[in-house]
Amino acid sequence: MDTYEIKFRVNGNDETLGVRGDETLLRALRRIGYVEVKLSCEGGDCGACAILLDGVAVNACLMFAAQADGSEVTTVRGIGTEDDLHPVQEQLIEKGGVQCGFCTPGIVVSAKALLDENAAPTREDIQRGLAGNLCRCTGYKKIFESVSAAARQMTEGGDS
Amino acid sequence: MEFLRAGSVDEALAAARDGAAFVAGGTNLVPDVLFGRKKIARAVDISRLDELRYIEEADGKIRIGALATVTDLLDSELIRDAASPLYESALEFAGPLVRNRASVAGNLMDASPAADLAPPLLAQDAVVELASAEGERALPLSEFFLDYRKTAARPEELMTAIVIEPLGAEDRCAYYKLQLRRAMAIAVLGVAVALRMNGSVCADAAISLGAVAAVPYRAHAAEGHLRGREIAEAEIEAAAAAAAESARPIDDVRASAAYRKKMCGVLVRRLLRKALGMTQGVVA
Repeated sequence: MDTYEIKFRVNGNDETLGVRGDETLLRALRRIGYVEVKLSCEGGDCGACAILLDGVAVNACLMFAAQADGSEVTTVRGIGTEDDLHPVQEQLIEKGGVQCGFCTPGIVVSAKALLDENAAPTREDIQRGLAGNLCRCTGYKKIFESVSAAARQMTEGGDS
Repeated sequence: MEFLRAGSVDEALAAARDGAAFVAGGTNLVPDVLFGRKKIARAVDISRLDELRYIEEADGKIRIGALATVTDLLDSELIRDAASPLYESALEFAGPLVRNRASVAGNLMDASPAADLAPPLLAQDAVVELASAEGERALPLSEFFLDYRKTAARPEELMTAIVIEPLGAEDRCAYYKLQLRRAMAIAVLGVAVALRMNGSVCADAAISLGAVAAVPYRAHAAEGHLRGREIAEAEIEAAAAAAAESARPIDDVRASAAYRKKMCGVLVRRLLRKALGMTQGVVA
């Protein structure tokens, strides 16, 4: 079995690991401990494994780990900390946008990517921005409200 | 599986000489490998070949680099202005996480009958450029799809660009993807129409259909009812009927064959009306 040594940064940590050619980035990340990147459909349908790859939101299950060699990966843990939450994380808690929580890491990644590009999204912008993320608990209403509130918090500032 | 990252197009072509699968965004290929739908001995990663990632106007045509992503289509004013059916198909393509990785060439190379980008590209007379270590060639997209998931590309050939004819300010066009939900859905039916206008006369007509046959295709018989004519109700009805007649759909989990065939006529009628600004009865 061919293995390859790859290097990338995850949430600011330098990581070096050996991967099989056909190992997905999702499986490699989880294998070295980044289990906040959730393994669910593995077909790109659910968005639970969303990460930022060099700042762009993508599904970690849809690429080979070796393709990420030399890249900068940001998981949900690299977006805010427990002491200093990102407004999206803060508002998901505030508005009850979390139930079982399994989809939440991916939702946070997609929402952050959306708000980085669009500071004042409409409801439709938010729906489209989260179109690749499935939630089977909340029915999305509270998630959309959370993202909308986070956008307001970020533009008004100060009250976080 | 052997993995090799190509540092240049030439390196990719050399690596593919003895057979390989090119992987760009990976959104189709990676799960196909993971779930055993495809067995690959060697993958050649082309995702870092930035020279294949561009959208530009050249010699009166629009050139789309093979590695332009679906998100790149949405970020391009050129595509929005001069290829609006393609722009609209990109809006309905999967979701942002997939659009950020999926390449235009990958959508064509995957050769799904339901490939979202195929009908709008066919409607603008797309030509695909293929390269191998032996040389380059170009062929119309309409000749590229041979059969269900079969293309004219040889195993060692890399798609490098897709070239389309821009739509002018006078031209009329429309696109619709019939789907069970507005995101992450495989098309029940994809339809694009593009009418090149010369005053009130339709100088050239393109109607293309996806997900209703083994390959996406141009509905030539339907187009024949429009080309060279002033389009009124009778021409629209004839084109819609011919489009439905041309369809050879299958029954699957998304829709029955009979429904798809009927909707071919319905959507072609709606889109022609919409393109021509005939408000009555427009739903799509």
